[in-house]
Amino acid sequence: MNRIIKVARMQLINKWTFIGIPLLILVASFAFTLAIWLLVRRAGGDGVLYGGGAQAPMWYFLALGIQALTLTFPFSMAMSVSRRTFYLGTLGLFALCALALSVFYYLMGLVEVATGGWWVDGQFFALQWIADNNWFVQIMFYFVLMVLLFMVGFLIATIYMRWRSTGMLVFFIGLGLVLLGIIALFTFGNFWPTFWSWALSWTAAGVTLWGAVAAVAMAGSSYLTLRRATA
Amino acid sequence: MTITPAIATRALSKTYKDVRALDNVNLELLPNRMYGLLGRNGAGKTTLMSILTGQNFADSGEAEIFGHNPFEHDATLSRICFIRESQKYPDDFRAHQAFKAAALFFENWNEELAQDLIAAFNLPVKRRIKKLSRGQLSAVGVIIGMASRAEVTFFDEPYLGLDAVARQIFYDRLVEDFAEYPRTIVLSSHLIDEVANLLEHVIVIDQGRIVVDDDAEELRGSAVTVTGSAERVEEFISGYPVIHRDALGSLASTSIRARLSSSERDKALALGLELSPVSLQQLVVRSTLSRVETLVPAGEQEARK
Repeated sequence: MNRIIKVARMQLINKWTFIGIPLLILVASFAFTLAIWLLVRRAGGDGVLYGGGAQAPMWYFLALGIQALTLTFPFSMAMSVSRRTFYLGTLGLFALCALALSVFYYLMGLVEVATGGWWVDGQFFALQWIADNNWFVQIMFYFVLMVLLFMVGFLIATIYMRWRSTGMLVFFIGLGLVLLGIIALFTFGNFWPTFWSWALSWTAAGVTLWGAVAAVAMAGSSYLTLRRATA
Repeated sequence: MTITPAIATRALSKTYKDVRALDNVNLELLPNRMYGLLGRNGAGKTTLMSILTGQNFADSGEAEIFGHNPFEHDATLSRICFIRESQKYPDDFRAHQAFKAAALFFENWNEELAQDLIAAFNLPVKRRIKKLSRGQLSAVGVIIGMASRAEVTFFDEPYLGLDAVARQIFYDRLVEDFAEYPRTIVLSSHLIDEVANLLEHVIVIDQGRIVVDDDAEELRGSAVTVTGSAERVEEFISGYPVIHRDALGSLASTSIRARLSSSERDKALALGLELSPVSLQQLVVRSTLSRVETLVPAGEQEARK
């Protein structure tokens, strides 16, 4: 247990990576969005203004998932840390960061609603589709999305660590073939209208639930892959 | 009395595609001794150390540290330190951050020693590790390896890129610290003469096989160089396996594998011959070369000349 916490502390030695950069991305994208909203209002634009900038830090987590593994894993081996301990410490730390950021999103959403969308009727944190749910679903929605993106990066990086370029080639060619197959199936079977009406019927809670299932599946497979990976 | 060996392997083998990296390696290393793991580049030194530290996997056989398989065994791993020659560090790390991490994980970490070595190596600790020169990068690994004071410490070609002064600092500090805090040290090297005097035990690996596993003193005493007039030398060495021959005019200097008795030494003296010890490097080079020679058929050797 002690060493798991030490892995988290090791990942945090450079606080910029796990905390500084995501916050900077968030602040910057929020500031830009706000500036654009003000310009729109000045120019006489009407209606609710939507901003997708809240997802900006989430994409950074994809890169963080890759970086946490490819660069820190070989170093953690030199620190005589077992793969299991490295895995638990890294994922645990990320889960904590993601949870803190999710709660922060939720709180900012409350402020956003209270201030009438930052006084310009904008929606940045409290997008209607998400903000209509209770606090638990809102927080979990953000949390699962962040973890999911981190796990995608983490899993791809573990496959690389284990099988190097061969693994990457097989993985991406395989993925491409599967996607192509699905698209072909939908196109020839004329399933697209059905698919879109089905996709639009999804609720935030549904996305959260299935996202969580996917994240757990990826977490499991990345652990099994990492167990036999070499530095 | 049975002492649990610090390091033990049984029939350890590993193949990379078509290269036999380790071939039936059986070793037993005792605690608190200084071992040299010598061999040519690609002989299997790093592979062996990677498996011993649970970083890589053997195809067959067993590897144990203090009686436990180190793979995924945190209690055992925490007693080991192995910084590989091509060690990777987190991209944005500076040297002092790597030391901070090492201080977290190695229970016997000695900050004073680390600071002392940083000063001795003149290491810019605030610079990003990826911007360091090869020698400075080696110094980071050497400092972690020494200051960790781990019960089993592996040094993987630690001198790469270090200048002669820095190398001497490393050897001196290693001997000093080892005397005060004995531990099992495995020093992997192909610069044999430089480390020869530090070693208590020598293991030579060649093409994945252990070709020498002997006490350093024993090994040094197992051969002798006879120098004198060619005729007398020939007379004296007849019957002994020859390791190496050098000749200059009527003078000859021939190394033989022999443990001379005092009467034989007297005889040499009477013949006007000079006896001198054979360097470890010579012995190692000869023992690996002789393997190469036996592996290559005689006809082919002729053709190569």
